Amino acid sequence: MNFAGIDIGSTMTKIVIINESGIVSQVIGPTGAEHRRLANKVMEQALTQGGITFDDLTYVVATGYGRINVPFADKQITEITCHAKGVASIFPTAKTVIDIGGQDAKGIKIVGGKVVNFVMNDKCAAGTGRFLEVISDALGLGLQEIGPLALQSKTKIRISSTCTIFAEQEVLSKLADGAPIEDILAGLHEAIAGRVFRMAEKMKIERDVVMTGGVAKNVGMVQAMENHLGYPVLVAEEPLLTGAIGAAILGREFVEKALQRGEEIQKGARLLEAASFFK
Amino acid sequence: MTQGKLQGLTKAVDVYKNRYKRLRELRAEGKKIMGYVCAYPPLEIVTALGYIPFRILGTMDEPITKADTQVPAIICPMLRSMLDLGINGKIDFLDGFIGAHTCDCTQKFSHLYQYNMQLPFYRFLDVPHVVHKPSLDFMKEGIRILQQSLEKHTGQKLAPERLQEEIKKHNEQRALVRQLYGLRKQDPPLLSGVETLQIVLSLLCLPIEEGSTMLREIIAEVKSRPQKIQKKHARLLLWGTPLTETSIVEMIESADANVVMDDICTGTRHFGLDVELTADPLDGLAKRYLDDLKCPRTYREATDSFAADQEARFGYIAKYVRDWKVNGIILESMKYCDTHGYEVPAIKAYFDRLGIPSLYLEHEYTMVALAPLKTRVEAFVEMIS
Amino acid sequence: MIAEKKKGVITRLESAGLVRPLVNKMYSEGNLAAEEGRPVAWAMVNWWEGDIIMRAMGVTPVYPENYGTVCASDGIVQKYMGVSAAEGFPTHLCGYAQNALGYTTEMKKEGQVPPDAPMGGMAKPTFMLCSEGMCDARYKWFQSLRQYWDVPIWTLSFPHPDFYDLQDESIHQINIDYMAAEIEGFIAFLEGLLKKKIDYDKLEEMLANQEKVFQVWWEINDLRRAIPCPVHGRDFWTMMVPCLYQAYDPQTLAVYQAVYKEVKERVDNGVGALSEERYRLLFAEIPPWASLGFFDKLAERGWNFVAESMGYHPPPPMELPGNGDIKQRIARWTYWFYISHVYRASKKGYYIAGAAQPYYNWAIEYKADGMLIHPVVTCRTATFWLTHTINVLKEKLEIPGLSIQGDIVDITLFDAASALNQAPAFEEAMDHFRQVRKTKGLDW
Repeated sequence: MNFAGIDIGSTMTKIVIINESGIVSQVIGPTGAEHRRLANKVMEQALTQGGITFDDLTYVVATGYGRINVPFADKQITEITCHAKGVASIFPTAKTVIDIGGQDAKGIKIVGGKVVNFVMNDKCAAGTGRFLEVISDALGLGLQEIGPLALQSKTKIRISSTCTIFAEQEVLSKLADGAPIEDILAGLHEAIAGRVFRMAEKMKIERDVVMTGGVAKNVGMVQAMENHLGYPVLVAEEPLLTGAIGAAILGREFVEKALQRGEEIQKGARLLEAASFFK
Repeated sequence: MTQGKLQGLTKAVDVYKNRYKRLRELRAEGKKIMGYVCAYPPLEIVTALGYIPFRILGTMDEPITKADTQVPAIICPMLRSMLDLGINGKIDFLDGFIGAHTCDCTQKFSHLYQYNMQLPFYRFLDVPHVVHKPSLDFMKEGIRILQQSLEKHTGQKLAPERLQEEIKKHNEQRALVRQLYGLRKQDPPLLSGVETLQIVLSLLCLPIEEGSTMLREIIAEVKSRPQKIQKKHARLLLWGTPLTETSIVEMIESADANVVMDDICTGTRHFGLDVELTADPLDGLAKRYLDDLKCPRTYREATDSFAADQEARFGYIAKYVRDWKVNGIILESMKYCDTHGYEVPAIKAYFDRLGIPSLYLEHEYTMVALAPLKTRVEAFVEMIS
Repeated sequence: MIAEKKKGVITRLESAGLVRPLVNKMYSEGNLAAEEGRPVAWAMVNWWEGDIIMRAMGVTPVYPENYGTVCASDGIVQKYMGVSAAEGFPTHLCGYAQNALGYTTEMKKEGQVPPDAPMGGMAKPTFMLCSEGMCDARYKWFQSLRQYWDVPIWTLSFPHPDFYDLQDESIHQINIDYMAAEIEGFIAFLEGLLKKKIDYDKLEEMLANQEKVFQVWWEINDLRRAIPCPVHGRDFWTMMVPCLYQAYDPQTLAVYQAVYKEVKERVDNGVGALSEERYRLLFAEIPPWASLGFFDKLAERGWNFVAESMGYHPPPPMELPGNGDIKQRIARWTYWFYISHVYRASKKGYYIAGAAQPYYNWAIEYKADGMLIHPVVTCRTATFWLTHTINVLKEKLEIPGLSIQGDIVDITLFDAASALNQAPAFEEAMDHFRQVRKTKGLDW
C-alpha cells in the first residue's frame, strides 16, 4: 500500500509518498500564486519519481495552508498535527517543534507523537521567514547567504523595531551609518528568534527541540535559537518535508486502524486535476 | 408579514437577520424602546415602567466609517461598531438609553453615545468592580436612582409589588433559556451552538413576553424534530467576549466540533441566574446584577490565596464543563478587550489543572479572515480527539 | 550671571530641581523598608485615598506603574514585555502592566530582584493595593500578579458618575459615603493583616499636610494662566510626582512653597517660561517620557505648554459642602478631584462639555491656541477621550488640535521628527483659528 502526504504551504508544495518500507518519493515544488490549481502537477512528479500510478495510492492526506482545495485528497489534517507526527517519526526524543515558515511560525508540544499543545503566529510578519526575505532583499543578498554571514558576527546589533516595515528602514539606516553587515544580520536573526522563542515559551519549551520549516535551513537562525534555548536544536536533513511525511504517516495509521476494525475506508473524489474555483 | 406573526425557530432566525424590524413595528404601534449596554442594567425596572428593552450591540458585518472621527482604533471593536451604528443613524428607534460602568470603554462609550444621540432619557448605572458589602449597597442605591429618574420621566410610580411581578416575568424567561440550554447536555446536543446564539441574540431584540413565547415554541420544536446535529467527539464550551453574529461559532462547528455550552454575555451571562424575590425588590436586583452575574469585569477578591481567587473566578465554569460533558474550551476574545485579556493565563492554568484543554482565539470582531482561526480550532479538535 | 537666553528655549524653574531628592526617596524607600523587614505594598496610583492610609499604618508603597516608566527609559521594558507575552498575556494590554508582569515573573524565577532591574528593582510586597479609579487595568493587572505574589490584595472601589449625572447634587454624598465605607473596609483589612491599629492622629496630620500641598500646587498651576505663562509643561511633569505620591510629606509642602515663590516672582515681573511665547498649548494625556526633548524643539518655535495631563493635577480648593469624620474628608478630596472640572464649569455657566470638560475649562481659562494630543497604543483610558476632546474644542471654541501617536512603554513609536514636520502647518492652523475666534467674540 502507498500513502501520500501533500503539504501546500504559502511558497512551497511538498509531497511525500511512503509504503511499508519507507519513503518511495519526495518532491518539493513552488506553490505559485494559484497553489490550489497546480498541486496536481507536483503530485504527478512525485508519482513518476516513485514509479507508481495515482490509483496505486491507498490514501492521500492534504495539509498546510492550501489543504482545503486539493481535489484528489481523501482527508485534510492541520499542519500542526502533521508536523508533530513527521518530527516524531524522525526524532523520537522530540518534545517541542519550532516551525518557522515563510508566512507563519508555530510551536508544537509532542508527547508520544501526539500534539498536546500548540501556539501560532500568523498575523505578524516580524516573527516569520518573511522578515528575513524583506530585509535580505533590501540588502541585496540571497536568503541562503544571510545565515552564514550572520554567524561571522562578533557583536550583534539590536534591531529595535517591532514591525517588519520599520525594521527595514532601521537596517538600511544602520548600514548607511557604517554598521558591519554581519552584525546587522545577526541582530535580525536574533529579533526573529527572540519573537519565536517567546511565542513558543507560552507552552514551556522542553528538550529535545526540533526546528522545521524553510527557515530551519538557515544556520544563522538555528544558532540564534540555540542561544535562547541554551542547548542544541535538532534539524532534519530536509526540514521542509516533515509536514508531508507526517501527513502520509497519518494516512497510513488511519487506514491501518480502519482495516483492523473492519471498517470501510472513505475516500475523496480523487480527481487528479487542477482545482477549479468553479466546481 | 410582520415579524410579530412568526413563530419558533423561524422567528428567531428572522429576528437574528433583521434585528430592528420587530422593534420598529412595535414603535409604530406606539410602544417605547429603551436601549441599554451590557447585561448589567436591571431590565425589570425598564419593562415595569413600560419600555421594551433593546440591548445595543455592534455588528461584525459592517465596516466602521464615522466612529474613527471620535474614538481611537485601539478600543473595543464592538463598541466602535455600536458608536458607528448610532452616529450613522441606524439605531433610530430609541426613546431612552441606559449606560453602565461595566468596563472602561463601555463607561466612556455610554457618555459619548448619549452625547451624540441626545436621547430624551439617559441614565448611567455606575456598577462597582468589587462585591464588598458597601458595593452592594451602592449598587442598590444606583438602581434606586435609576428607578426614580425613570419614574420622574414617565410620570409613573413603580410599586414594589408591581416590580416583583416584573421580576417573576424576567425570571420565567431565564428559566426557559436554561431549559433550552439543557437540551444541549445530550450527545449529540438537540440544538447547535449557532442556533443557540441566534435565539439569544433575537431575545435581546424582543419584548420579554414575546421572547418567552418564542422560547416555549422553540423548545417544543427542538424536542420533536428529527435529530439534525451530528455526534462529534469534541464538545466545546465557548468562553469570552460578546458574539453578535454566528460566524465564529459556525467556523468552530464546521471544524468537526459541537459547541454545547457557553460563558459569554450574549449567552449564559445575560440569562443565567434568577433575581431572588426579596421583600425590598431592589435588594434582589442589586445582588443578582452585581454579584451573581459572572463576568471578569467584577473582581471577587478572595484574599486567602491565588487558588481561592481562581476558584471564585472560574469555579462556576467548571460546573458547566461537568454538567454539559465538555471536553475542550475555546477562549475567544476580541482584540483590545483588557477585561478578558488579563484572564487568559489564569483561566488556562485553572483548566490545565483540571485536565481540560483550552485554546485561546483572539479575533478582530469581523466576519472575514477566519481561516487562520479555523486552522487553530481544527488543530485543537485534532489534539483532543 | 544670567546667560544669554537662546530665543524660544524653555527657562526651567530652578526650584524644580528640589523635586529630585523626593523622587529618589520614593524609589529607594521601598527597598529600604524590605531590607529592614517593614511592610511593603505594591500599589496603583489611588489619588490620595489609599497611600495616606497605608502610611499611617507604617506601610511603604511601591508603584509598579511608575516603575514601568523607569524600565521604559532604561530599555529593559522590551525584555519584560517579552516575558509577559510568553506567560500568555495578550500584547495589547497596558504596557506598564506587561512590564510589571514580566519583571515579577523574572523576580520569581531568580528568587530575588533580577540583576538587570534598574534602580534596584521593586521589593517583594507584603500585600497589594489596587484602585478601581479611572482604569480597569488597575485591578485586573494586580489580580493577575496574584499568580506570582500569593499575597493579600485589597481593591479600593471608586465611583465614576457620568458627567450628565453630576448635575444632580444628591449623588455627591452617595458617592462619598461609598468611598468612605471602602476606606473603612481598607483600614479593617490592614489592621487585620498587620495586627495593629491605625494611628488616627498621624492620619489627621498627613491629611492636613495633603490639603496644604493641594492648595499650593493648585495655586502654582493657577498662576500659569498669566500671559506669558511662567511655567512650561516640562516643569509640570517633573514637579507633579511628589504631589501625586507624597502629598502627606512635609518635605513636599516645603518644596512646593519654594516653587510657588519662584513662580509668583516670575508672574509679578511678567517673566514667561519662554523668551518668546507665540503659542499657548494644552497637552493630553500621558507625555512621551522618553522624548521630552521634543518639547524643547517646539519651544524654539515659541510653543509654550500651559496646561496638561489632567490626571496628574491636584484638586482645586474644595467646593463640596460637608465635613464629617476623617474617612469622609479623605474620600471627598479624591471624589472632588474626579468631578471638579464639570462641577466648577456648571457653577460658572460654562457649557457642559462632559468628558472634554477639563480641557474645555483650561482652554478658556488659560487662553489656549491649540491642543496637542498623544494617543498611546497600550492605554485605552488615556487615549479614549483624546479625539473627542479636540473635536469639542474645535467645535465649541475654534481651537485646533494635533495628534501624535506614541506608547507608554514602546518609546520607539513616538516619531519626533515626523511630528516636528507638522509644526509649521499646525502653526498656520493656530494662526487661522485665532482670527476665527476674534470674529466669534472669543477674546483670545
